[in-house]
Amino acid sequence: MSDPTSEMKVTAASDIEVDRDALDASIKNFAGDSGGYYAGVFHKIHDATGLLPTTFNLWAALLGPLWSASRAVWGMFWTFLILEVIAWVQIGRGWWGNPGSDMADRAQRQLDRAQEFLDKAAAATASGEDPERFNKLAENITKAANDSLAKADAAQSQAFGIMLTGLALLVFFKLIQGFYANTAYEKQYSRWRIDPDSTESGRSMRNIALGAILVAAIAPLIVFRFTISSSIPMLDTFPEDQASALFLGNGSANLFTSVANWLNAVIDSAVTAWSDVTRGIIVFVKTVLDGLQLALSGSPWPVVMLVICVTAWRAAGPRVAIFTAASLAYIALFGYWELAMETVALVGAAVLISVAIGIPLGIWFGKSKRAYKIAEPVLDLMQTLPAFVYLIPIIAFFGTGNPPGILATIIFGMPPVIRLTALGMRGVPESIKEAAVAFGASRFQLLKDVEVPLALPSIMAGVNQTILMCLSMVVIISLIGGGGLGKVILEALQYAAKGEGLLGGFAILFCAMVIDRIVQGAFRRKDQTD
Amino acid sequence: MSETVVSLKDVWKIFGARADEAMQAVKNEGIGKPEVLERFQCVVGVQGATFDVPRGEIFCIMGLSGSGKSTLVRHINRLIEPTAGTIEILGRDVSSMSASELRRVRAQQIGMVFQHMALMPHRSVRDNVAYPLEIRKVSKSKRWAVSDHALGLVDLTGYEDRLPKELSGGMQQRVGIARALASDPEILLMDEPFSALDPLIRLQLQDQFKALVAQLKKTTLFITHDLDEAIRIGHRIAIMKDGVIVQIGTPEDIVMNPADDYVREFVQGISKLKLVKAHSIMQPLGSYKGSLEGAPRADEGADLDQLIDLAVGSEQPVVITENGNDVGIVTKPRLLRGIQGGKDE
Repeated sequence: MSDPTSEMKVTAASDIEVDRDALDASIKNFAGDSGGYYAGVFHKIHDATGLLPTTFNLWAALLGPLWSASRAVWGMFWTFLILEVIAWVQIGRGWWGNPGSDMADRAQRQLDRAQEFLDKAAAATASGEDPERFNKLAENITKAANDSLAKADAAQSQAFGIMLTGLALLVFFKLIQGFYANTAYEKQYSRWRIDPDSTESGRSMRNIALGAILVAAIAPLIVFRFTISSSIPMLDTFPEDQASALFLGNGSANLFTSVANWLNAVIDSAVTAWSDVTRGIIVFVKTVLDGLQLALSGSPWPVVMLVICVTAWRAAGPRVAIFTAASLAYIALFGYWELAMETVALVGAAVLISVAIGIPLGIWFGKSKRAYKIAEPVLDLMQTLPAFVYLIPIIAFFGTGNPPGILATIIFGMPPVIRLTALGMRGVPESIKEAAVAFGASRFQLLKDVEVPLALPSIMAGVNQTILMCLSMVVIISLIGGGGLGKVILEALQYAAKGEGLLGGFAILFCAMVIDRIVQGAFRRKDQTD
Repeated sequence: MSETVVSLKDVWKIFGARADEAMQAVKNEGIGKPEVLERFQCVVGVQGATFDVPRGEIFCIMGLSGSGKSTLVRHINRLIEPTAGTIEILGRDVSSMSASELRRVRAQQIGMVFQHMALMPHRSVRDNVAYPLEIRKVSKSKRWAVSDHALGLVDLTGYEDRLPKELSGGMQQRVGIARALASDPEILLMDEPFSALDPLIRLQLQDQFKALVAQLKKTTLFITHDLDEAIRIGHRIAIMKDGVIVQIGTPEDIVMNPADDYVREFVQGISKLKLVKAHSIMQPLGSYKGSLEGAPRADEGADLDQLIDLAVGSEQPVVITENGNDVGIVTKPRLLRGIQGGKDE
């Protein structure tokens, strides 16, 4: 196999000469202009064994961010643009600014008032009254004015110090840039070697122009804003009314109200157009909820309690069963039984619907990459959008009460079961699927016998996540008329009723913990038998 | 000649979005693998594979990784669709089968064993073996009986109710073989079944497998990257390189007459003692000038190992006989060269 002529000679690392020519050509190709300089400094960096590089790039130090822009080292550009602007702001404050102006103004005002009192004193003496009161006041105010003046002077004398600090900072940042520039550029070169297509190289006019524009746009405005205390109002707050006028013409409402009005109209018309569909959805959700509520609240309380405790014992063992019994006792003793059952029915309905829709969707997304790509931003949105935002359209479309509350809960609670089902489906080993197909399994048999059983642990984790997410919505849905324990909390919040709020809060906490323990216990047992 | 069970005619597989265009170009212009990649960004998996496998034969397909052997064998149960060419099982064209027909053929006539076992971790050993029958909707009592019988064939009685992960690698692969045998298929497809096992277990399973297949008379396509294994198991061997079948022949054929340097390099290290038979190294009777009186005699089917035993006990060459008649001789130099692999004197 090994041909003696092509055999590699084994050589000790210390004997190997570094081939500079190929590297030089590559570096020059990368750097473009002044490639020779960079070949030299890169060699220095490559040869260095210490921690700190010993090269100094004079142009990088002098030009600062302009250099990093011209070489497309954008991370360095932004960092040092900000740092240099900070230094320039200090210099500006020291040079043009008037740090003691506030104090000087105050001193002037105080002197004016002192003069006022002196005038009054003079008037009083003239009319034969006692000027002593006015003189006393004028004297005090004059004293305060002198204090203020002294402070203004002190601030003024600090200006020179501020300017010096700014200068020192500037020099310091320049030095860092000078020393760091070549190292940063060498890192960019290494990146460029790996991925030459998407890493910028050389020096381009476009980048120089871009850097210059950014520097010109950012630096003077910031320096101006912080240096001159009385600034232009345009720069302090965004001129939204003027901008609105620009779009809509003078006199009409601003952009915000007109878009909001338009949205109102759109939603109103959609509500009427879709009323049949929304009513259908409400009826469906209500049916599920009523069924659960009938079972939980309709049955005699000892039966329900017994069933829950036995379930806890079977699913998660005796300790959880004892905890469950204690929690149920707390809930019942404080009169929360009915409300707690309503809460469990609400959460249960939301979980049932989420799982019934979520698992098939997850299976589909697990099989089709394209469908998942489209669905992923929607799932992200469902989870990140604050609940209060989608409560409003839900009220518009579905009204208030328990069923719309369940819909809001579903929006928040469904994504985990979808995601984890899809994840589990994609994790099924290709080889086992192939074996099933090779033995003649149809698509449905493949799904039923291989994919779903192998994805089951992941699906179960998704269901558990969904249950917890749904529980966390209990209080929020009481805002749109959802009942149960959430309502207790909301009422306590409105009247700042501390005791009632705490007791209700604990009732919710115990509900959540009982459900979580039972579900987790059940899954853990399942894992062990697998 | 016995009945042909599996027959491939000029089967091509080209992977990629523009496979059909590439296939046309290959047919019309005769371009090679690198040009296909360059012009169509398509990878050629199999190039013009043609062979027939008669009933009861173990046909080994040997090649290094990436030579297209796994791709080739997946055409037979249409896990992969050919770009061109025909594949027939028992005289029926696989490509023209409907989906349900194909599933039936897969479930009844083809058993497959995979390199990484591919057992279902959530099912017991018995249910894994019975899965091909379950697909065909066989009743549970029948399934269990068949699967227990199949497990008996591979010496796994007593492990029926275990989960696959409780078994060692060699035992898991025997479960895989039992699963392939469970539906009593005509054809066995073995995709590097023993490659992931340690050498001792591998040897053991190879012997066990060979005996089992001989007893059950299954037509077998056996993929391997190990020439020793191919020689030990196969009646015939096809050697693949870069998607092309370089040579097809009996183990002896391949070792004694390698088709090209690639095959020659492979067979260099193979021991010829048990492989090379007397008839392929014997010389004409007339080439020996001395007397053959009292010389040791051997049948033309005797292997080198037996010839050495005979030659050691005598000064004369060994006389080779066919049906009792002398047909040739093997001298000691000839024997030694034969051990080396038939190098020219």
